Formats: sequence, C-alpha cells, structure tokens
Amino acid sequence: MSDDKVEELAQLERTWARPTGWRYWSDVNNSTVGLWYIATAFAFMLFAGALALIIRLQLAVPENNLVSAETYNQVFTLHGTVMMFLFAVPIFEAVAILILPAMLGARDLPFPRLSAFGFWCFLIGGVFVSSSIFFGQAPDAGWFMYPPLSTEQSGIGADVWLLGLTFIEVASIAAAVELIVGVLKCRAPGMHINLTPLYGWYVLIVGAMILFAFPPLIAGDLLFELERLLDWPFFDVTRGGDPILWQHLFWIFGHPEVYIIFLPAIALLAMIVPTFAQRPIAGYSWIVLSALGTGFLSFGLWVHHMFTTGLPSISLGFFSAASEAVAIPTGIQIFAFIATVMLGTVIRSVPMLYCLGALAIFIVGGLTGVMVAVAPFDFQAHDTYVIVAHLHYVLIGGMLFPVMAGVQYYYPFAMGKTLSRNLGIWSFWLMFFGFNVAFLPMHLTGLLGMPRRVFTYGADMGWSWLNLVSTIGAFVFAAGFLVFAWDCVRPKRQQPYVKRNVWNAGTLEWASPVPAPSYGMRSVPTIGSRYPLWDDKDLLPTLDEGRGLLADAREGKRETLVTSVLDARPIQVLRVGAPTWLPMIAAVGLGALFIFSTYKLWWPTAAGGVVFLVAVLRWLWTGAAVIPEKETKDAGGGLELPLYVSGVRSTGWWAMFITMTGDLTAFLSLIFGYFFFWTVHPEFPPIGIDGPGWVWPMVSAAFALGAWGATVAARELNAADRVPLARLALVGGLVSAVLSGAALVAGPVTTGLDPTTNSYPAIVWALVVWIVLHLATGMLMQGYCLARSIYGKMTPRYDADIRNVALYWHFMGFSALLTSLVIGGFPLLA
Amino acid sequence: MTGQIEQEVKRETGTGTDLWRVIVSPIVWAVHFLFCYVYGAVYCAKAGRDASLAGPTVIIIGATVVALVLIGLSTLHLWKVRGRSLTDDDFEYEHNTPEERHRFLSHVALMLCVLSAVAVLYVAIPMLYLTSCR
Repeated sequence: MSDDKVEELAQLERTWARPTGWRYWSDVNNSTVGLWYIATAFAFMLFAGALALIIRLQLAVPENNLVSAETYNQVFTLHGTVMMFLFAVPIFEAVAILILPAMLGARDLPFPRLSAFGFWCFLIGGVFVSSSIFFGQAPDAGWFMYPPLSTEQSGIGADVWLLGLTFIEVASIAAAVELIVGVLKCRAPGMHINLTPLYGWYVLIVGAMILFAFPPLIAGDLLFELERLLDWPFFDVTRGGDPILWQHLFWIFGHPEVYIIFLPAIALLAMIVPTFAQRPIAGYSWIVLSALGTGFLSFGLWVHHMFTTGLPSISLGFFSAASEAVAIPTGIQIFAFIATVMLGTVIRSVPMLYCLGALAIFIVGGLTGVMVAVAPFDFQAHDTYVIVAHLHYVLIGGMLFPVMAGVQYYYPFAMGKTLSRNLGIWSFWLMFFGFNVAFLPMHLTGLLGMPRRVFTYGADMGWSWLNLVSTIGAFVFAAGFLVFAWDCVRPKRQQPYVKRNVWNAGTLEWASPVPAPSYGMRSVPTIGSRYPLWDDKDLLPTLDEGRGLLADAREGKRETLVTSVLDARPIQVLRVGAPTWLPMIAAVGLGALFIFSTYKLWWPTAAGGVVFLVAVLRWLWTGAAVIPEKETKDAGGGLELPLYVSGVRSTGWWAMFITMTGDLTAFLSLIFGYFFFWTVHPEFPPIGIDGPGWVWPMVSAAFALGAWGATVAARELNAADRVPLARLALVGGLVSAVLSGAALVAGPVTTGLDPTTNSYPAIVWALVVWIVLHLATGMLMQGYCLARSIYGKMTPRYDADIRNVALYWHFMGFSALLTSLVIGGFPLLA
Repeated sequence: MTGQIEQEVKRETGTGTDLWRVIVSPIVWAVHFLFCYVYGAVYCAKAGRDASLAGPTVIIIGATVVALVLIGLSTLHLWKVRGRSLTDDDFEYEHNTPEERHRFLSHVALMLCVLSAVAVLYVAIPMLYLTSCR
C-alpha cells in the first residue's frame, strides 16, 4: 500500500472511531446502536418469556392458586404487550439498523442520531412498562386494552400501557423514517432497484406500513388518555361514546402489525436461504410483488378481529374476503423459498435448520389463519385457545424462528465469531419439539371450549391433561431458548475470529473484514449484480485497496453516499452525525414527559418537555443542514458530488415527507372518529348540543391558509435572494398561525361545547387540540427558520430548513382546512 | 457481459416505470375496498338492520366494475412493456441497466394488477350473496 493510502485509511479510522470509556454510550453509529437495540429487545423477550412460564405453571393443573386472578391478569397482559411492542416490532428495527447499511454498501444510515434517539426511547419506555409489574401496577386488561374494562376498572396500569407504548411508537416511526430513506437513497452506486437485496425491499415495505399502521393507534391512545385523564367520553356508551371505536383504531394498527412483524422476519429467510442453497433466490420479482401485495392487503383485514362484535354481516364479508385474499401473496413468498431450497444444493447448517423449522411452523399457523378468517368458524373459535394456538404458530413460525435463524446467520457478521453448531442444533430441536408440544394441543383445548385469559379452570372441564402437556412443552421450549441465549453470551475470547464471508454468501454485507471496522467498508464499490460477491471477483480487491468511492475522510467528517432512487446514480456526499449525547438527552426528556404525566406530576412533566425541546433544537441547530466548507467533493475517480442538497432531492426533505405522512394518518384517524360518531348517533350533532358554529372555524381556516401561504412565500423570496422580505413573510406567518389557533379555539368556547358531556363535543375538542398543537409546532419551525436566517445558517443558496418547513406547512394547511370544514361545515349538512 | 449490455435498449436513468407506477393497482384495490366497507357500514348504520341490500349491491357492483376498468387500463399500459429480460429471455431481471430495471418494475406492476383484480373480485363476492343488513 502506498503512503497516501496508509494515511487515508488512518484518517478514515480516526473519523469513524468509536468513542471509548463512558463516552461509549454517546455513540450513534449503526453498528453500535444496532447491537444495543438487539440485546435490549432480547432482554425484554426473556422477561416476557418468564411471564409466559408463570402463565403455564398457573394453568398446569386445575384449580391452581400459584398466582391470584389479579396478578394473572397483569402477567398475561404484560406478556402480550412486551412480546409485541418490546420485542417483535423493535427487533425488526434493531436488525435492520445493524445490517442494512452494510448490505446496501452505505457507511451508515442517513440519520444515525435518529436511530440512537429511537433506541433510547425504546429502552426507557420499555423499562417503564415492564417494571410496572413489580409494583403491582401493570396493565391488566389484555394487550389490546378494550374499553370499558380498561377505562373503568383498570388502575394506573392502563395509563402505563398507553403512555409507555405511545412513547415507544415514536421510536418505531423514527426507525421507519430512517430505514425508508436508507433503502431509497443510500444504496451503493449501480445497485438499481432490481438489484437491491430482498431484505431492503422488505424493509422499505414494512417502513411504509408502519407509517399507516402505527398512527391510528397513536390517535386511539390520545382519545383513550383524554378519556382517562379528563373524562372525555369517547368510549362511554352512557354519554354517546362507543367502545367499538377503540377496537377499530386498535386493529387498524393491530392487524397490519402482524405483517410488520412477519415480513422483515421472512426477509431474513430471503437472505439466508440463497446462501445455503448456494444459488440466487428463485423468483426475485415474484417475492417483491408478493411482499408489496401483502403490505397492501394486510390493511384490509382488521375487522376479522372484530367478527363477534355485532357488525353487519356485509362488513364481515368484505373483511373475510380480504383475509382470504392475503393468503395468495403470502403463499407465493413461501413457495419461492421452498423452490430455492429445491433448486439449490443445500448446505446443512444451523441457520438453515431454523429456516426450515420456521416454514413448517408458519404454514400450520397460516392454514389455521385461513380457517379463522371464515366468519362462522371464527364465531365458534373466537376468544378460545384455538386463537392462542393460531397466533403463536403464526408469530413463532413467522417471526421468532426466522429471527433466530437470522441471529445464527449474522452473529459472525456482528461479532466476528461463530455460535456453536452443537448448541445450535440442541437449541433448535428443543425449541421445535417444545413449541409443538406446548401449542399443538391448544387447538384441541380451544375446541373443547377453554376460553382465553381465564386464570384457572375446574377439573371437570376435561382440559386438565391437555394443559399439563402444554406446560411441559413450554418448559422444553424455554430450555431450548436458554441454550441459545447461553450460546450467544458465553465468553468467546479463546475462539478465533472467523474467516471473511464465513458462509460464502453473495451479498455485500459479507464483504466486510473480520472483525468489522466501524467505518464499514474501506471504500464504496460499484455494484453490477444481485450477488456481487459471487459474480464479481474483482470486488474485494477493489474495495480493500480503496479504489471504490469515498475511500477517504479528508475533512474529518463522517460521510456516506446518496444515490438516486431507481438507478442508484451517485448524487450527493451526505455528512452524517458523529457521536453526541443529544439523542439520549432528548429521549430522557421525552421519557420524563410521558412517565411523569402517567402519575399526574405536572411540574416534572413540564420540565421533561423543556429538556426534550431544548435538546432537539440544539441537535438540529448544530447538526442539521450545516453549510459545508466547499460546494463539492471529489468522491473518488474524479466524481465531483455536491455536499449540500436541499428540497425534494435531499434526505431531510424525504424524512419530513415520511414523518408527515404518518402524522397525517393519525389526523385522518381522528377524522374517522368524528364520522364514526356521526354513524352511531341517530341525531348529529346530538339534540341539545350546538356545534362550534361555522364562523370561527372559517376564520381559523383563513388564517391557517395565510400562515401556509406566508411560509411558502418565505421559501420563494429567500430563494430569490430577497432575504429581508422572506423574514418578514415568516413573521407574518407566525402571527397568522397564532390567530388561526385562537379562532379555532373560539368556536367551541363561544358555543359552550363541554367535552365531558358527550362524545360529540369531545371529538370536536380533540380535533381542535390536535390542530392547535400542530400550529404551535409549525410556529416553532417558522421561528427556527427566522433565527437560522438571521444567524446566517440559512441563506438563499443553503435553504434546506425553509424547504422542509414549507413541506410541513403543506400538511399543516391541509389538516387545518379539513378540520375547519369538518367541525364547522359538516353539522350544516348532516 | 459488456456485449450483452450493448444489445439492450438504452434508457435514461430514472425514466420508465417507477415505484409510484408499481403501486397504482394496489391503491385502486385499497380505495375500492375502503369504499365498499365505508359505504356498506354507513348504509347499514343509517338504514337499520332490517334494510335490504338491493340498492347497495348495484352500487358496489358498479364500484367493482370501475375498479376493474382502472386496473385493466393499468394492465394495458404495462402489457406494452415486454415482460422478459432482454438479454437472456428469462424472468430474472438481474442486469444492471435502467432498461432492465424498467422491465423489472413493469413486470412487478403487471403481476400486482392481476393480484389486485383478484382481490377486488374477492371483496365484491359477499355482496352477491347477502340480502340484508343483519
């Protein structure tokens, strides 16, 4: 290696060096945060698994009194909640953050600090929710928290659930933003979208699904908490509310969530199976289209969780039909995996064992799913152990086994050492056998009539031996998992590092040397095939000798390449965040806000909010849209790329667009709530209650449009080099936004709408509160741009801030206008 | 490899079928589905449980025809793109050119049209069998 290259490599290492000592915890690099994330998710999984064993011990024999009914309620609620919200969804984010950049040939994801923020939110929220059981304050109304049970009988547990999980949902949406932009914009040059690893496709689809699935639950959580905290009767039938609304909002989230869990897990199969079949995946395009189709169809299934709530049979029919239709694309994916195995020469290995086990278990769960999607069968099976068996076959076959296959497969990638083959085989067979012994009999237990969630049963019911068998199976299963956990954590100092690309895989993540350096690849290669390590023999030498792109970090800044969406042409050198404590501080502030508000400690809550706000503003001020020291940079081979891009071509613009799409979904869920009440009320607005009138809402809409227009004008004026006028427009926008919010509140205030009397005023107020909070956020952004302009951090040339804020205001203006039209205009029509 | 690529049609990067084009037909499915569900639910909520579904059946069949026509138009447009990979006459789409990417996404979009049409028909079937809002 020449002296130049030696110095270049040393500089790259310095720039990407992991912080040491206690500063290690300020790291934001994807390889570090991904490991924290995975370890934390598995820790929560072990905790929830222990809860499952308590459940099985309690049910092992009839009339058991190991735990009380109250404790049992908390145990099964927390088991479901933790497994779903603290393991199944976060493990997707965790694994993706760890492996995706290497797979795509990026040095890091586009917003590493956002990943770190998401992780800290997840950790704080998860510990808060999980620890509640040690104080007897855990949620106890089932993992879906149905009102009125949860609104009227639960103690503080319901608030813990609502606020803790809302906080964690923030982390999911943050991860979705990060991963979508990562897949679309951070692929290696030449990695056309038809050459993208299937894992990337799945991550893209699941990220998009999160944007439409999680926000309805956030909206539902908001209504729920308003009912618990302020007695706004959204779900209280005596005051015109309806508990079914919660079920809708929960399952609009809840069913897609099953696929949000399932798709990234089988995405791991799509990476593992080709490696051990030693051939490319069969039917790449069919898998992509099926995954896309599954993503869409999965949103047409939610009512199949509500077949027994008395909805008209026509509603059941539509959802039953869609539930059957989703089996088609799901089946295509499974067939493609089986075809790949059959066409290849399979190498026997532990990851492959888990893959095959996953397919076997998932197919059983999928078939019972086709059965329960038929409404009349569901009427019989609903809320029995048939459902418990079905959902565990789906989740363990569709998620846990694939994830374990993934851990077995990617352990050498992350740690540089292999897991033990013997222990792996032992853990697999213990888990596979134990799982089936535990859950196969539950189909029968359920058909014999055993309902879910009962804490005990009589000896005369005839369920005793089946339950005992299930309990034995559960402990065998747990033993298998402990073998696996031990294999992961046992000291491996004596064990040598594995060789590079230990499985002889074809995808780019295996190009990294062992142990993996923190900067990822020595240089960014140009990709010409789906399996570059198999097809391109020059790839590794090109990489290692630093002959690819971005081989240096001459300016001492962390950089990654941004490429175009379809054909991955290099378009920008993106500077990404270096280690900082700010994401952690922001997460602590936001966590304090949620946790203290659970206990109605308002001063600490406010303090948490201030800490969050200050940390985020500082983070943005110092780290986002920084004006570079020069216009362009030589990325290697004479390729000059810009260092600063604003507007639709920038990653920040897309992050804003994606975030606001999720936000818009939450807003539309509230609008759905408004019209839902219209359908359940015979008179609308209810007799004796006046709406907010039409005058004030229209005045508010006019000012909102004014603020929107002013912001857009500021963007254009700034771009046209008329900076003072742009600042003036921003001030005008701020004033107009204040007036818009005031006018919106004036409507229901002047007509005396009391949100505690009936669900109609409550939903009107909920919409008003939503818009006012968003106006406040929009004003903060306008003020931020003003300050950036005054301090010279935003100029006519470097205008990413105002472009992103204008994008926010497109959504803001639309939401404000729609709200005014709905609350002011609809009562005139109805 | 180079020789093969030269045989392929030259295409400007970023042109041709894109990701929005791919999701047109599933979006048609989603809109059709939502329309059927919302319309049926509101109709039954307002008309009562004994109401006949004769009128809604006609409307839902109409909506289904509209959805199928839209998906059909999308299909016709995609049909013009030859489905196979240019260089080796298969469905692998594994070459690194914009033209191959265009063919790949067109194939994905085309098959999603088929899937969406099937799903639209599935959703319409219950309407043909049910007669009242019970």
